[in-house]
Amino acid sequence: MSLQRGCSRSLSPRTTAVSASVFEDFKACISEEASCQTISEINLKKQKMIRAVLVMNTQGRPRITKFYEFWPVEKQHEAIRNVFSVLCSRAEHVSNFVDAESIFGPDSRLVYKHFATLYFVLIFDSSENELAMLDLIQVFVETLDKCFRNVCELDIVFNYSKIHAILDEIIFGGQVLETSSTEVMKAVEEITKLEAASNAINLVSKSVSNWRSR
Amino acid sequence: MALSGMRGLSVFISDVRNCQNKEQERLRVDKELGKIRTRFKSEKGLKPYDKKKYVWKMLYIYMLGYDVDFGHMEAVSLISAPKYPEKQVGYIVTSCLVNENHDFLRLAINTVRTDIIGRNETFQCLALTMVGNIGGREFSESLAPDVQKLLVSSSCRPLVKKKAALCLLRLYRKNPDVVNVDGWAVRMAQLLDERDLGVLTSSMSLLVALVSNNYEAYWSCLPKCVKILERLARNQDIPQEYTYYGIPSPWLQVKTMRALQYFPIIEDPNTRRSLFEVLQRILMGTDVVKNVNKNNASHAVLFEALALVMHLDAEKEMMSQCVTLLGKFIAVREPNIRYLGLENMTRMFMITDVQDIIKRHQAQIITSLKDPDISIRRRALDLLYSMCDVSNAKDIVEELLQYLSTADFAMREELSLKAAILAEKFTPDLSWYVDVILQLIDKAGEFVSDDIWFRVIQFVTNNDDLQPYAAAKAREYLDKPAIHETMVKVSAYILGEFGHLLVRQPGFSPREIFNIIHEKLPTVSTSTIPILLSTYAKILMHTQPPDPDLQNQIWAIFKKYESCIEVEIQQRAVEYFALSRKGAALVDILAEMPKFPERQSALIKRAEDTEVDTAEQSAMKLRAQQLSQTSNALVVSDQHPTNGTPAVMVNQLGLLKVPNPSTRSNMDNDSEDQRLPQVNGTLSKVEALPQSADLDGVLLDTLAIEGPPSSIVQPKSNSNLGLGGIAVESSALVPVDQQANAVQPIGNIAERFRSLCLKDSGVLYEDPYIQIGLKAEWRAHQGRVVLFLGNKNTSPLLSVQAIILPPTHLKTELSLVPETIPPRAQVQCPLEVVNLLPSRDVAVLDFSYKFGNDMVNVKLQLPAVLNKFLQPISISAEDFFAQWRSLSGPPLKLQEVVRGVKPLPLLEMANLFDSYSLTVCPGLDPNPNNLVACATFYSENTRAMLCLIRIETDPADRTQLRMTVASGDPTLTFELKMFIKEMLVSIPPAIQKPPQASPTPLQQASDVAASTDPGAMLAALL
Repeated sequence: MSLQRGCSRSLSPRTTAVSASVFEDFKACISEEASCQTISEINLKKQKMIRAVLVMNTQGRPRITKFYEFWPVEKQHEAIRNVFSVLCSRAEHVSNFVDAESIFGPDSRLVYKHFATLYFVLIFDSSENELAMLDLIQVFVETLDKCFRNVCELDIVFNYSKIHAILDEIIFGGQVLETSSTEVMKAVEEITKLEAASNAINLVSKSVSNWRSR
Repeated sequence: MALSGMRGLSVFISDVRNCQNKEQERLRVDKELGKIRTRFKSEKGLKPYDKKKYVWKMLYIYMLGYDVDFGHMEAVSLISAPKYPEKQVGYIVTSCLVNENHDFLRLAINTVRTDIIGRNETFQCLALTMVGNIGGREFSESLAPDVQKLLVSSSCRPLVKKKAALCLLRLYRKNPDVVNVDGWAVRMAQLLDERDLGVLTSSMSLLVALVSNNYEAYWSCLPKCVKILERLARNQDIPQEYTYYGIPSPWLQVKTMRALQYFPIIEDPNTRRSLFEVLQRILMGTDVVKNVNKNNASHAVLFEALALVMHLDAEKEMMSQCVTLLGKFIAVREPNIRYLGLENMTRMFMITDVQDIIKRHQAQIITSLKDPDISIRRRALDLLYSMCDVSNAKDIVEELLQYLSTADFAMREELSLKAAILAEKFTPDLSWYVDVILQLIDKAGEFVSDDIWFRVIQFVTNNDDLQPYAAAKAREYLDKPAIHETMVKVSAYILGEFGHLLVRQPGFSPREIFNIIHEKLPTVSTSTIPILLSTYAKILMHTQPPDPDLQNQIWAIFKKYESCIEVEIQQRAVEYFALSRKGAALVDILAEMPKFPERQSALIKRAEDTEVDTAEQSAMKLRAQQLSQTSNALVVSDQHPTNGTPAVMVNQLGLLKVPNPSTRSNMDNDSEDQRLPQVNGTLSKVEALPQSADLDGVLLDTLAIEGPPSSIVQPKSNSNLGLGGIAVESSALVPVDQQANAVQPIGNIAERFRSLCLKDSGVLYEDPYIQIGLKAEWRAHQGRVVLFLGNKNTSPLLSVQAIILPPTHLKTELSLVPETIPPRAQVQCPLEVVNLLPSRDVAVLDFSYKFGNDMVNVKLQLPAVLNKFLQPISISAEDFFAQWRSLSGPPLKLQEVVRGVKPLPLLEMANLFDSYSLTVCPGLDPNPNNLVACATFYSENTRAMLCLIRIETDPADRTQLRMTVASGDPTLTFELKMFIKEMLVSIPPAIQKPPQASPTPLQQASDVAASTDPGAMLAALL
């Protein structure tokens, strides 16, 4: 008897390492849902959006990063590192798509473009079309190019506030705002004019300190 | 420029850049943070310019990956600066650094609102951008009306308006109540008339967000979307700056097509036609060109068009056109297009009816497994996995095995799992399956999970003819120099069990088997040793005549492990040692393992189903034919002796009973003769018993014959009536009062329908004259329903008419219904049902007949309902989650909060699901208040499609729950969701287990027997 019991014991249970690891994911996504208070908030939690824009150089240093959902800074950095380790091992002339679910969780996609010393990366979910996102990177880069006349990494490093302004004219809260680089340029020029105008007079504003003391 | 004026910032960035290593960088950053902190603390003398500079530095440090846990206040405070540069910095940095629940943000709401309603457009833009990025619920409540005002204002510039649209999207997501659906639907439609493409793009994103929650309110936007698409596709009135590499705004085209995919159908034929024209133009007019960017743009539109075509469920012609295109794509040079071609083929394979055309590209897809790009290789693997079936399994699995040796490490695990599943699911013959798994273990043992090898052993154990083959194979692998431990386990197990079958072959003597296995013992881990010990015990048992040397050697091993610290090993060693000294008893105890019960992963089950189906069908048909022939003869010959006792005749038709002299007793049904049940009982016991196990099969078999049943039955009944006067005579006997009865249905028709939705046989309708019974058999998307029309009276029913009014999703074919149903006769009318589409609509049987002067007409719902095309499956966790994740979001995955649910304990709810063929999978969801279920849905259009359901209940309030339904087809998801919702909101009162035969007055007498004898139960039913 005992032999049969012993043998069948070792043959029966169906548990696998694979299912266990997938299971964790599910748990994670459940606990994330559970942490919200109401059902309607759960619905909203699943936002359909571009989740992040990353620009990093070929050494893996971030140059511009913008996350459209809240990520703690350590998580941001871990993600950047992981993305870089995938990108740096990719050959030339392969597709612009990379499996992102292992880094950014279920329903995430990643497209990237490599220009000179920089990687431009967009992370988004199934609400966006992959090739359209790739086009959006192109719009971003072409706009930078118009702005800085042959943009290079250094332009981005030393003008990152301006890059933020440009990015904000293209992607807004994780949605595509403007796709015409001409229109983006117009908006950016307006901003630049305003900055220049007020740079001339450096007045201490009373209202700022008033606001603090309120 | 913001930075040109800030020398300190440039210096800091240069410093950081010049740092040689991470440590230096950290020191530099810490120093800077310390300085900023001090400056912020001593408020005095901090100019806005300085503040701005420091806040930028903070953002830079934050981007480098350092946590900046102070200074948020300073960033937020800059928002209220009067000058643009400071305000800009405040807004930008706040949206990057601060999370939406931050308390400081609340302080800024008023300032933000002032900026939004103010007249300064640049301030408006800044404020909208921040709210759009990090605005939370509070922002939503206080700002939504202002943002809506901006969006519809005619004086607002496009620059502001487009931001307002996306800002509203954010606020809507934070709190959907801020958009009043009734009022906003009209405004939304007006927004789509916008000429400025920037505003239109944002508005379209807003529309997508709105319709994804509730498309019904926005039907009026649908034709406008089609108009926009036409305008873009025809390149009418598109400003140059919105043309991207010659393509009119690909983003807007894509978004518009996205929005259209949220509407389940397009009803208006004109709109539908114009849309298809546009789609056709996109499909045909896109070529692969030299310029990469142009290619990307045009194909972004093209792939979205493909998705829309799939969603709209176009005619087959257009679908095959799409497949042809995809076939072209997977072979082009452009890697992006290859990638998306494969991905879309996989999607298309899951939902549409073009599998055969896709399969023609198999060779090319296999080539893609060797693509230099791992992203493409993965997609190719996915596609091969989903397109694999019995016809191509051998090729595909062998390709996968071959690829396994060279595959990237990262892909091997997935690859071996998929190969194993496919081999099991579609194995053409079991020896091939054994080959595949052994090869798999050989090539990638470390990736082969235990269940894979457990499974192969189950197969071998359960299939006697496979055992010698497996033993020989296992022996072969043991000869290899270095084998994976899993291989040691499998081969030791197989050789222990079945090695003796080959004892006469060279290399298979007990000693040789023992030696080669024992050689591996020093190399294996403790988990394998117990298996080896069992093998030794088995070898010992099979060694006849006993070999004392071998015996001593094995006993010595058992002895050695008797003191092993591993309890499993120790126990086995002790027990085997003791057992092996018991002599003859050993043979009994160590006898071959019994067959495993069939248990199963979804995959296996499905695989077996298909096999049985094909194998058994022919056998069943044959048997059915034979039976129908004999039954024909029987009825005729039997009829004479019974001398026109119609009840018996009906029984014979129904049960195909073998003639029995005992039926000769002239029984009168109406007299409720006590002998009848007895006779019936003995009848089926004595005569039908040998067949009784097959009874069900027999019944269904008769249905399997195309057409004939009714035509066979019909002449029979007529010929019986041909006996003449009986019919007339009996009609004369019909009691007068019965004729005068108003025709009232017996029992509740709706109730009967509901209970038939849950079981496959029973009474559909009954009144004093007629009883309509029903027996159905559902197989995938087809169903065979037999209507049993039984005349309960002693006079015929005339002008009998039955018409099926099928809903559009069902194809039905009802065989000829005779115009007259003879007295006390029962007529079988087979009805073939083919399910074309998922739908909740119900087919109706329009039935009428005339009895005496009463014309009766009833409309009966037929239980060919959605759940009949569901088949329960049990699915493994990995499959479930893989599917669950791949079906992301609407329209494939829909979620709804259902209120007003009939409160049910979870266990009962699980039973309810099970009764609808939705298999509840316990343990998948760790939350005990949730319930996860799945099933396969069949329709001609969707083919077999997996449906996944998750119900989250609220233990505090059982009347509400949240339901998520996912499947590969949007219509299916939607219909199933509604179906389950209806099911939960109005739970049928009695959830009965299927074979509860409803007693029929026609056979009242047999009721007693019905409760015990299965044959009689069927008789009662029919």
